[in-house]
Amino acid sequence: MASPSPTVSFTQQMLRRRPIIGAPVAHGASDHLKRTIGVFQLTMFGVGATVGTGIFFVLSAAVPEAGPAVILSFLLAGLAAGLAAICYAEMASAVPVSGSTYSYAYTTLGELVAMGVAACLLLEYGVSTAAVAVGWSQYLNKLLENIFSVSLPRAITAAPWDAEPGVINLPAIILVVMCMLLLIRGASESAKANTVMVIIKLGVLAMFIVIAFTAFQTDRFANFAPMGTAAIGLAAGTIFFSYIGLDAVSTAGDEVKDPQRTMPRAIIAALLIVTTVYVLVAFAALGAQPWEQFEGQEAGLALILDQITGNQTASTVIAAGAVISIFSVTLVTMYGQTRILFAMGRDGLLPSMFAKVNPQSMTPVNNTIIVAIVVSILAGFIPLDKLADMVSIGTLTAFIVVSLGVIILRRREPDLPRGFKVPLYPVTPILSIIACGYILYSLHWYTWIAFGAWVAVVVVFYLVWGRHHSALNDGGDGIITSAAPGIDDVEIVTPRRDVP
Amino acid sequence: MTVIVGYLTGKAGLSALNLGVEAARTLKTTLSVVTVVPKPWTTPSPARIDAEYAQYADRLAADSATQARTCIASLDARLEVSCHKYAHRSASGGLLDAVKDLDAEALVLGSSADGSLGQVVIGSTADRLLHSSPVPLAISPRGYRGSKTHGLTRLTCAYPGTPESLHVVERVAALAEQLGVPMRVITFAVRGRTMFPPEIGLHAEDTILQSWAGQARDTLAKLKSDGVVGDDVELQVVTGNGWDQALDAAEWLDGELLALGTSPQGAIARVFLGSKGAKIVRHSPVPVLVLPN
Repeated sequence: MASPSPTVSFTQQMLRRRPIIGAPVAHGASDHLKRTIGVFQLTMFGVGATVGTGIFFVLSAAVPEAGPAVILSFLLAGLAAGLAAICYAEMASAVPVSGSTYSYAYTTLGELVAMGVAACLLLEYGVSTAAVAVGWSQYLNKLLENIFSVSLPRAITAAPWDAEPGVINLPAIILVVMCMLLLIRGASESAKANTVMVIIKLGVLAMFIVIAFTAFQTDRFANFAPMGTAAIGLAAGTIFFSYIGLDAVSTAGDEVKDPQRTMPRAIIAALLIVTTVYVLVAFAALGAQPWEQFEGQEAGLALILDQITGNQTASTVIAAGAVISIFSVTLVTMYGQTRILFAMGRDGLLPSMFAKVNPQSMTPVNNTIIVAIVVSILAGFIPLDKLADMVSIGTLTAFIVVSLGVIILRRREPDLPRGFKVPLYPVTPILSIIACGYILYSLHWYTWIAFGAWVAVVVVFYLVWGRHHSALNDGGDGIITSAAPGIDDVEIVTPRRDVP
Repeated sequence: MTVIVGYLTGKAGLSALNLGVEAARTLKTTLSVVTVVPKPWTTPSPARIDAEYAQYADRLAADSATQARTCIASLDARLEVSCHKYAHRSASGGLLDAVKDLDAEALVLGSSADGSLGQVVIGSTADRLLHSSPVPLAISPRGYRGSKTHGLTRLTCAYPGTPESLHVVERVAALAEQLGVPMRVITFAVRGRTMFPPEIGLHAEDTILQSWAGQARDTLAKLKSDGVVGDDVELQVVTGNGWDQALDAAEWLDGELLALGTSPQGAIARVFLGSKGAKIVRHSPVPVLVLPN
């Protein structure tokens, strides 16, 4: 890399924004002008990305925190996620770059904020991949137990700092490695596969709700909020993790038909479906089992069904559905993580190896391997509840930044064309900030410390390294130009556009 | 030295003969038409149980030879043609025997009959040879009728940009020089498929493609600065959302040949087509030449 010779002041450097750069190389079928996605498909994206990240295993961590009042926590978390998703949609439509909050923040709020957001996203995607993999390992173990009556030894299925300690969570690591290999090969989940996964997830959850209601006892709700009302916020923080992905709806903005109408409808529809399912699952589970019993339950939904039905048929179906669908969730989340790191590598805020594409597979192989290693370590050694809280705090912070970004952008560039505008501005972004802020405020102090330390590490990395290597240095336009001689001799041929 | 073309009447059509004639003419050598027929039962038996079958095989070979001769004569009357019958259990095995016996420098095959016209369709015989041929293997698109100029107009080399495939570029460059035709080197950059649900947008793969195209550009430029290819060689990075689109995007001349190398997996020097190569072959609108490793 070129010698660190910033010609701008330190403050300017931290506030500089990435200009919007040239169109991607291949347009063809995925032409930006073609708006094809309607409300139904967009809702499917939202439901597909959201259900499965947490509901299968979050109850065992959240119910002991708040008791039956956890139902209110679900509503609170859903409200916060929904408000944030609507703000996301405006941000995504105002910034003609595609991608994650990181890209939005970089083009609107500056380099330092982008780095902070990146720290949050590493939690939202990287750590949630690990958390989801740990949940998968619980259901896999349950499935093996039900079908073959063999149970993997505790030593290789639990993290060393779990309530019942093990040595390493091997199935979770194997899942991560499998996903890594698929991503290196360039495998992807198609829109159709996504719809199938949505059906599987909703199907098994519906089955759970129906069966669990047969053992419903109202007196289990007698002591509705045993831990007090403040605990509702705390549990919402843990649960928030299961709403991650709702913002996925907004990232598809530039391909959505009539976004001003479609966007809020799809977000609200996805939110309603997801929240209804979650609340019903929680309600049914709490009615079927006293709230004190949730603590430490692994593969919780399957266990509850075992107790109700007395045989293992239903729990086998749940476990199988969970194993299949959580696999796809892990793949998609890990994919998201690699692509965010790719964007950072391309922008020069991470070493360029993150943005290197392997000629053989045409995928970012180094990047994928690094992500897999880090995620494996997290999944192998850290218990689920600790991971879930970290994911939530990162996501909530990113959501607040987006909501703030909407307000800042409206004030700074009121005339910027926006495909979608937040209804009831400025009430919606402010409510979003308040809702996310309330949940953040309720989280444990140690989660805050861990989060603060992590953000500090990332910011220090930026100050020491990224700042000097950013592609925006020396008045660049954000593209790291190649110095290879004879480059002009090489023609880049793109497909002709079939679109009239 | 000769060019072998595998031909069986009723199978794969005349496209292989068209390409075979062009190949023999370009390489200034003879053409050998090889027909592989089923091996008759060699167990001695007074009942001659297999006589009818043997007769059928003989007739098949004779018919193929007559048809091939007529066709070739109409294409190029002056070309020296010989016809050979090989009895073997498999078509690919018979062709490999012929390559050894006749000391062939290249093997030409047609496309399988079940596929769209104008595209290379790999049949079962070609498929096996793509993984075992000791000599370069040329495959014609379905319905290929030769170039209007009756010869090779340009050689295009598909180069994935890996150091192991550098030797392919070198060999194609040597061949282009020997034949006195212009050369082009293409690196294909194909966009990865969109991941659903789109957690970080539907265009994440566009940035990957962009980076890869940039990287490929550097590697191609290096070919010239390192002197692997001459200054008059055309260099292109061709992008697309899929292999079909990319192959279409690379403008093809009449009489162009697409040459590609094979995976360096096998220790033995022979053709072993990799997965990316197979995709290129399948979507090629021009005849392809697959070089052994």
